Amino acid sequence: MDFKLGRINLKGVAQGVGGFVFGNEDSYKNEDSYMERLLDRISNGVLADDRRAAMAELQSLVAETSSAQLAFGAMGFPVLMSVLKEERDDVEMVRGALETMVGALTPLSSAHGPKTEVQPALLNSDLLSREPDGISLLLSLLGEEDFYVRYYTLQLLTALCSHSLNRLQEAILAIPRGITCLMDMLMDREVIRNEALLLLTYLTREAEEIQKILVFEGAFEKIFSIIKEEGGSEGGVVVQDCLELLNNLLRNNASNQILLRETVGCESLISILKLRKGSAYSFTQQKTINLLSALETMELLLMGGPETEPGKESNRLSNQTILSQKKVLDHLLMLGVESKWAPIPLRCSALRCIGNLVIKHQQNLDLLANKVLGDEAHTEPALNSILQIVLRTSDVEEFLAAEYVFKCFCEKNADGQAMLASTMYPLPASNSTRDEDVNMPFGSMLLRGFILSDTLQDIETCCRAASVLSHVLKDNLQCKERMLKIELEPLTPNLGAESLLHRIMRYLILSSSVKKVDSNDQKERTLVGDQYFQPVILRLLIIWFSDCPSVVQAFLDSPGHLTFVLELVSSQSVSVYIRGLAAVLLGECVIYNSFDGERDAFSVVDTISQKIGLKTYFLRFEELQKSIYFISAVCPPHRRTLTRSNTASMIEIGEEDQTKEIDQKSDQPVLMSIFSGHFVNFVKKLELEIRESIMDVFSHPKSKVSAVPAELQQKEGEGDADYIKRLKSFVEKQCHEMQDLLARNATLAEYLTKTGGVASGSDRNVGGGHEREQSERLQQALQEAIQRIESLESEKAKIQNDLESLSAAYNSLEQASEERQKESDVELNDLLVCLGQEQSKVEKLSARLAELGEDVDSLLEGIELQEGAEAEDED
Amino acid sequence: MSYAYLFKYIIIGDTGVGKSCLLLQFTDKRFQPVHDLTIGVEFGARMITIDNKPIKLQIWDTAGQESFRSITRSYYRGAAGALLVYDITRRETFNHLASWLEDARQHANANMTIMLIGNKCDLAHRRAVSTEEGEQFAKEHGLIFMEASAKTAQNVEEAFISTAATIYKKIQEGVFDVSNESYGIKVGYGGIPGPSVGRDGSSSQAGGCCS
Repeated sequence: MDFKLGRINLKGVAQGVGGFVFGNEDSYKNEDSYMERLLDRISNGVLADDRRAAMAELQSLVAETSSAQLAFGAMGFPVLMSVLKEERDDVEMVRGALETMVGALTPLSSAHGPKTEVQPALLNSDLLSREPDGISLLLSLLGEEDFYVRYYTLQLLTALCSHSLNRLQEAILAIPRGITCLMDMLMDREVIRNEALLLLTYLTREAEEIQKILVFEGAFEKIFSIIKEEGGSEGGVVVQDCLELLNNLLRNNASNQILLRETVGCESLISILKLRKGSAYSFTQQKTINLLSALETMELLLMGGPETEPGKESNRLSNQTILSQKKVLDHLLMLGVESKWAPIPLRCSALRCIGNLVIKHQQNLDLLANKVLGDEAHTEPALNSILQIVLRTSDVEEFLAAEYVFKCFCEKNADGQAMLASTMYPLPASNSTRDEDVNMPFGSMLLRGFILSDTLQDIETCCRAASVLSHVLKDNLQCKERMLKIELEPLTPNLGAESLLHRIMRYLILSSSVKKVDSNDQKERTLVGDQYFQPVILRLLIIWFSDCPSVVQAFLDSPGHLTFVLELVSSQSVSVYIRGLAAVLLGECVIYNSFDGERDAFSVVDTISQKIGLKTYFLRFEELQKSIYFISAVCPPHRRTLTRSNTASMIEIGEEDQTKEIDQKSDQPVLMSIFSGHFVNFVKKLELEIRESIMDVFSHPKSKVSAVPAELQQKEGEGDADYIKRLKSFVEKQCHEMQDLLARNATLAEYLTKTGGVASGSDRNVGGGHEREQSERLQQALQEAIQRIESLESEKAKIQNDLESLSAAYNSLEQASEERQKESDVELNDLLVCLGQEQSKVEKLSARLAELGEDVDSLLEGIELQEGAEAEDED
Repeated sequence: MSYAYLFKYIIIGDTGVGKSCLLLQFTDKRFQPVHDLTIGVEFGARMITIDNKPIKLQIWDTAGQESFRSITRSYYRGAAGALLVYDITRRETFNHLASWLEDARQHANANMTIMLIGNKCDLAHRRAVSTEEGEQFAKEHGLIFMEASAKTAQNVEEAFISTAATIYKKIQEGVFDVSNESYGIKVGYGGIPGPSVGRDGSSSQAGGCCS
């Protein structure tokens, strides 16, 4: 207290002097010479009192005007530093010198003079940090008996931090016991301790080595003991400062995380999160900030070390293990789910912690899956409670935080997904009053999101259910197939049951009409439907379709679906995200298409190129990529470092959100969460596959007839007519295919000419390089197609040639046989003539033999027999 | 997490003598033939038992490079034990021991226990410093001495444990004020506050009666 009085008195004196001397602001020269005189009195004065008076004057001058600060900087530091060095015994002088320097480094808010000028405080800070051995001199002062000397020294160092942090960090590291001196201050009186906390918090920012030394000096134990002393989360701003320092020590620092885990333990940290029975309902702003800071500590541990660290994953797993061993899940569920009084930012933060606690950690996943909340009378699985938050909260941030739990729960957890999916059966409509949720299994509760009427709110609920469902299905073929079989009760009684896929498509279509209604009626709350309902549903479909041809088949079975998605892609009235995602979905219809015939991949590609045009289609992907970069650049990352300066504003924002209606801006976080790193990579990979497979359609058309040379040959025993028929049908098929190719070729050519025409137009600047690359690729594809057609054409010509030669051969064969017929006719005549001659010979001989009395009949018989035997021999 | 005492160690010595490998062998029981250069300081911990009491060792493995000297000096004062390591196949690392010791004497507390370790003793065929020389140096400067191999694990346990045993003995003898943590020693919850009252009577050390 006496110190404050002293200060006021001195100020009074100084104001008089300052006012007198600096009556004329322009007289910088005057000022400089006055400053010079004061400094001269301090360094060369004979009477101790006179020197002290000069110091007092100087001090108040510097505290008053920035011009004095400026004047001081140039010559003051060496003088005062020598006071600190040489006159340690004169406590008053040392105090004065320190306080003057603090003044010289403190920016004056009511700046005299233009603001564009160099800030004297900044300049002075730079000058002081360059003083040779200045820092070690200051650190040595921390060992002084006098309280104010230590106090001002700490203030001076803190002031230095705010402008010359790097230089101060380097200087302190170079002093062997630098950090140790500062750490000792944590054991000092409360005022000193609190100053030291602030200083150390500054010093540890992004300075790994300083962080480690602090921990070596036992910072963890000290921090936790101060927090405990101050009352844990119920404590004041000192607790917040302690946690900020703690977070600096753990952020991206695997070594310190290991030490905390292995030697200090996490009990102290977890006990901060524990709400005391008596005050579980009251959340003051300070308490909320303290708890948020402690949750940030959890978060940092659950993130593990820096990305590049080789042992990051194992470090993260160990942290997950040790934290859950200490029952942190219970406290997190209390803060995030059970407490009715916890402010929304706190609930969100706790929910995200739950997600990070379980992600890719089998034991913790099981723990969460089996966790039951509530007392004996009303128990409910924790996951169900969290799903309720997803479906019902009015706060977008809270919805996202709760959804994040499911995202983490389902990540690489096929068993967990199967467990959630196994309860998915629709309950009869009679059960669907909202109050009965408590006893509903998870899956039914989720499906209920899809069986409400089509009011705006229900579309929102559906979209939230869809977001959870997409996590349940991700990378899990079994669940995807299972979902396909789910039949929901009709929305209107006279319709038949409807599959989940159809229902979701229905909501997708409905949600596009939402906006139109709204824009006509301004009074109705403007929902962000267009902005985030459709992207969420589209994401679900994209995840569902991936690697799952049966879903694609079911989707394509209703022609309306494809048409609607095509419309989305070409629509100018929906956002780039929707167009882009719809394009991705269409692409999946190509790559995961198992149809044969009418709705095969080829026909989907044809439809795309006819209805949208390939150029526009691929443009959608580019637009999407760009927008994703845009959105992640615009929105600050979720994890903000809590510091004194930004916590207060953060809480205020949180409170505002509670009262405000969801406004247009609030779709940004949802979009942010949709386009998380994983999904973006997934889409990028899909895009590549889609491009490839569409290219395939053009460059390697599936052959309806495979032209195997061997098959063109006439098969043995195959009748000529059959052979000709076969060849004819082959040629016909080839012809069809060629027509298909020609049609596709025409589309491509049309597109190419269009591109050429538009090239000079406005579209040109959208993506010059990319477009060129794309058109080059397409040109290549076209070229390939043309070559293919040419080769087919030549093949056709060859076949025709073959045919001609074949028919020529046939003709000549026929001619030959005719000739042979004629020849044989002549021979037959000859033979007949011969035969007649023989006959007459036989008759003449028979008459003659009869005259000679021979038995002609028996003789002839004998000859016939002989001939028969001879003929048999010949055969 | 309960321990009777917690001791803080540092490992110092020239770059490349195998400090990080000694630590890895002691904490993880494995050898990594190619180890990245240590930047600044790395941390490791292990529980050991001495005189039937659980003792936690917190070990800071420092960077041997000259450019990190000023950073590593910050660790001297608060350490109860130091492993000073040289490489028996590289003479210069032995020659630099004096400067390391000087550093330690200047910045550490006077009661710090220093263990001299001639590492890489599995590479006998490339030996450049004899065992006798090591012994002689240790004797002259009042250090405990051992040759060890981080690769074969020979003497690694022994080095860390016998250092701890020496510190433990000093505690029993009342050399340290264990309530002052700046000596690098901390009394744990699992232990006995103040000097040991050998509950199971197995305490073979001189302690037990002094207060």
